[in-house]
Amino acid sequence: MSLTITRPLAAPAFRRFRRHRLAAFGAATILLLTLGCFLGPFLLPFDDTTIDIMNRFAPPLSGVHVLGTDELGRDMLARLMMGGRVSLMVGFTAMAIGMAVGILVGAVAGFHGGWLGAALMRFVDAVLCFPSIFLLLALAALVSPGLLSIIILIGATSWMDVARIVEGQVKSLRERDFAVAAEVLGASDARIIVHELVPNAVAPIVVAATLNVARAILLESYVSFLGYGIQPPVPSWGNMLNNAQIYLTSAPWLAILPGLAITLAVTSFNFLGDGLRDALDPRMRAR
Amino acid sequence: MVDFRTDRRAVLGLGAAAALAPRVGRAQPRPPERPRGQVVVGLSQEPTVFNPLMPGIEVDQGVWWNLFSPLWFTDPEGNLVADLAQDVPTTENGGISADGLAWKVKLRPGVTWHDGTPFTAEDVKFTLELINNSAFRARSRVGHQLVRDIQVTAPDEITWRMERAYAPYLSILSLTFMVPKHILGAAGDPNTAPFNNAPVGTGPFRWASRTAGDNITLTANTAYHGNGPFLERVVFKYIPDLTVLYTQFRTGQVDHTSIQGISPPFVREARTLRGRTIHVNQQASVEHIAPNLEYGPLADKAVRQALYMAINKRALIDAIYYGLPTPSESFLPRQSWAFNPDLPAHRHDPAAANALLDQAGWRRGAGGVREKNGVKLEFTNSTTTGNPVREQSQLLLMQDWRAIGAGMRVQNMPAAVIWGEFWQQSRFQSVMVAVNFTLGADPDVTPRFHSSAIGAKGGRGQNNYQFANEEMDRLLVLGATQFDQAQRRATYHRIQALLREELAILPLFQRADVEGVKEGLNGYRPNQNCSSNCWNIREWFWTA
Amino acid sequence: MSGFLVRRLGQSLVLLVLVSMVGFAILHLAPGGPMSQFASGSDMTQEDLDRIAEQLGLNRPLPVQYAEWFWRMLQGDWGRSFRDGEAVLNVIGSHLGATLQLMLTATLLAILLGVAIGTLSAIRRHSVFDTLATVGAMIALSIPTFWFGLVAIYLFSVWLGWLPSGNRSTPGDGSLPDLLRHLILPAMVLALVETAIWSRFMRSSMLDVVNQDYIRTARAKGVPEGRILLRHAFRNAALPMITVLGLQLPTLLGGALVTETVFTWPGMGRLFLDSISYRDYPVVMGILMFSATLVLLGSLLADLLHAVADPRIRLG
Repeated sequence: MSLTITRPLAAPAFRRFRRHRLAAFGAATILLLTLGCFLGPFLLPFDDTTIDIMNRFAPPLSGVHVLGTDELGRDMLARLMMGGRVSLMVGFTAMAIGMAVGILVGAVAGFHGGWLGAALMRFVDAVLCFPSIFLLLALAALVSPGLLSIIILIGATSWMDVARIVEGQVKSLRERDFAVAAEVLGASDARIIVHELVPNAVAPIVVAATLNVARAILLESYVSFLGYGIQPPVPSWGNMLNNAQIYLTSAPWLAILPGLAITLAVTSFNFLGDGLRDALDPRMRAR
Repeated sequence: MVDFRTDRRAVLGLGAAAALAPRVGRAQPRPPERPRGQVVVGLSQEPTVFNPLMPGIEVDQGVWWNLFSPLWFTDPEGNLVADLAQDVPTTENGGISADGLAWKVKLRPGVTWHDGTPFTAEDVKFTLELINNSAFRARSRVGHQLVRDIQVTAPDEITWRMERAYAPYLSILSLTFMVPKHILGAAGDPNTAPFNNAPVGTGPFRWASRTAGDNITLTANTAYHGNGPFLERVVFKYIPDLTVLYTQFRTGQVDHTSIQGISPPFVREARTLRGRTIHVNQQASVEHIAPNLEYGPLADKAVRQALYMAINKRALIDAIYYGLPTPSESFLPRQSWAFNPDLPAHRHDPAAANALLDQAGWRRGAGGVREKNGVKLEFTNSTTTGNPVREQSQLLLMQDWRAIGAGMRVQNMPAAVIWGEFWQQSRFQSVMVAVNFTLGADPDVTPRFHSSAIGAKGGRGQNNYQFANEEMDRLLVLGATQFDQAQRRATYHRIQALLREELAILPLFQRADVEGVKEGLNGYRPNQNCSSNCWNIREWFWTA
Repeated sequence: MSGFLVRRLGQSLVLLVLVSMVGFAILHLAPGGPMSQFASGSDMTQEDLDRIAEQLGLNRPLPVQYAEWFWRMLQGDWGRSFRDGEAVLNVIGSHLGATLQLMLTATLLAILLGVAIGTLSAIRRHSVFDTLATVGAMIALSIPTFWFGLVAIYLFSVWLGWLPSGNRSTPGDGSLPDLLRHLILPAMVLALVETAIWSRFMRSSMLDVVNQDYIRTARAKGVPEGRILLRHAFRNAALPMITVLGLQLPTLLGGALVTETVFTWPGMGRLFLDSISYRDYPVVMGILMFSATLVLLGSLLADLLHAVADPRIRLG
């Protein structure tokens, strides 16, 4: 059965449909998650911070709390929604910052080469020299803890990989026919970068972006653990997972629910990215 | 006249209640003839300091107890027991002069260091002098700095003079381990001597090896001067994550979980494990909310009283700590001879708290938070990050206090940050912390509550609460110079009553640590008076 | 080529010095200090703490401290740990073996599996296998490693009792079978996440290549599919993987902090975190210098390999 699918021209209509369906699924899920997290709390009868110590560890579907309660008797659904606000915001914004900086630095360095390229790439190397914990420590010393500072922190530690990958791609693409042709035709540098090189390097960029969303969501909980993140009682999917550690056997839903939420968000984003990549990649477009 | 019996009894009081959970029936198993088997002790922090005179934490001290010996130690019942000394010096036996200034210690004969060199009074002299050596990074010189004219009068006898009578010095020496002169004295710089990573002591076990970041292995010292050891090998294993530590105890890779052994959420399950015994040990430290008394709303006594009344202590202890610790009104453990049992009991009464605040002029403003003269009843509370149980307590308090119009915000920090200037220079608003206020087993709290001990005001001490009270200052000086225990007890009862009245700290409970021991391992005896329950591994053995 | 090498090595040295300066400043200016942990409730007074800070030379001006550290490091003296008084190089050396053992096993496993899964996913794009591999990789990436570790421990150690729940060996036993038994769980858990990363990059790279003109030309010419994939596609798809490998080299030594914590593996990641939490300045600086050197070497190596593999790239 899979053989018919591997053949490039065997069932193009089916393939396109399938591809779109996954991408559409991804987009729809992200939209739903976002809407749910930002509007949902207004519809719920429970607050995410109200403690009900007599009613803690209620399993899902066991009473008025649809998804159960946590170690302090707080409503899990409310916490998942409020946590989603933080995690989705951190995940996507930090990724966007990382991508923007990384692509800019990588593309300019790869395209120009010479002293500017070398200087930029050595700068990337220098930043990479510091392990992320170290950078977090440094930035945390300079900015006060909060949602915005976490986003900046994580964004600032996740652009170097992208810069490296983009630089490598652009450097090798620059010498190829279409770029040389564009140069000969007198296109401006910026135009060549934006219209020829970056779209051709889109494949690894999308992969890196997907990985970075997951990384940012998890890194947020780690930063909080180190004491520079958002403070309790504000929930995030990452710190919900973190706190559920000691209840692995006694109350597994405390971990499964936020774990599912993160997986759903990251997977959806990946499918969306896959579709996006097809749409942007010039070679795919040609066919 | 100085009567050292009283102060010896001072040590006695601590710990009677800490006596071990009753041993279950049947005939007492007997230790083997020769050392046999090994014990793996799981620790959540890594022991890294092996020179017992340098700064170390509880896990380090747990290792020291097995490598080194003090002149005497305090047993679980609070008695001083001679170790390297022949007897514990007292006024009756002539070891300490009537004015408390001249000390004479006779040493136990036939003790050797692990390398075979005999232990003599020269080693004791060297140890005391090293502590006072200005180039040496000694942990603490409290008490030691009063020692003058150390004289070795015979290979097994040493005398010295105290600059002034200082009763707690007996307790301090019970936690001071002797180090070898022939090794450390020969080293150039005692701070970096090879000894510090290959220690030689007189203890029941000798140094075998260390894998940094992983474990420390000790082997039996068959020439040990005391009872034991009955184990061939002791392995101190560093397991940084508490969940993992518990799991390894559960799977049997760890025979004993020490200090922060088993965190409260695991206790119920741990009690059902087969082949494992769980011990709940009352600690000397008291968990409390430390208010910064110079910080806006917390400076008002009415506010502190209202906050205290609003705390649902029962729910906090029962739900979050699974009922393990004991509620407390004092800074002293209830086992202390100076403990005041008549302090007013805490009562959870939000209505009275609200009324008290209304009366004191704190009016509810926007968002339900009270205000007085433009000062909002708002403050932060901090504790070390990564402690889920403490975080849950904070959230519970936050809700309790919101009900009386007090806004608390959590601001937690890593240990290296919070216990630095933030704590020592009183930059905090409020902190959740457990402190052992006793010095050895002495109830003197001058460094904690005397107005001259405020670090932020250039004082010397740890009065980070910035508590300043004339009566307290007077009582503290009185207590430190009284030697009759009945009089002294009265003074400390008054001190406790005053602190409870002023609420310089909001006491929550006396801590209880939960430690686990594998079945078949005998001899484990928790000891509140030593910093680690690894103090007597020499007496441990496996049932054959 | 040799001119390029000399220039890059020179640049790297300058960078190293800069990194050490910035790192030193950050570390010392960050809140907290090495003596803090003793202040929370032990018998040490503020006076004791101040005295020890002075004995350690911590209250001298920062540039003086840096200059001294730098000068000593040039002479091969990296200082001593504040925690256990060991020479920094010894401290690093004693943690390196454990890290290399774990990381090399896991990375090798991850590259093999990841490249295989990624390639297969790409050539059977949108097949059931591809979708499963994608979802699997996303799950692996979305769940923190400590969860996989804990679940693996509960499954294989607590319930089934097949494997030890952590540690590098049984105390008192250092035989090869014992070491291998202890290696299985942490290596698998670590490889899981890395496999996911490698498979995603490989899949994408492979997809990129199979759609290029020369592959289509080869297909049109009737070259057998297997040969196309191996000879043409795979080789070119592996090219961007070199960058990924270069990026991974330092993490190889940085260790896997979480895996090391869950499986009580005494490696570099754990050492770094413990040293940072204690503010053990000499050790943190030592690890920083060590890993910085590796990052710079990794970057240089990646550039060289790129040039060898892709003749269109001019070094410069």
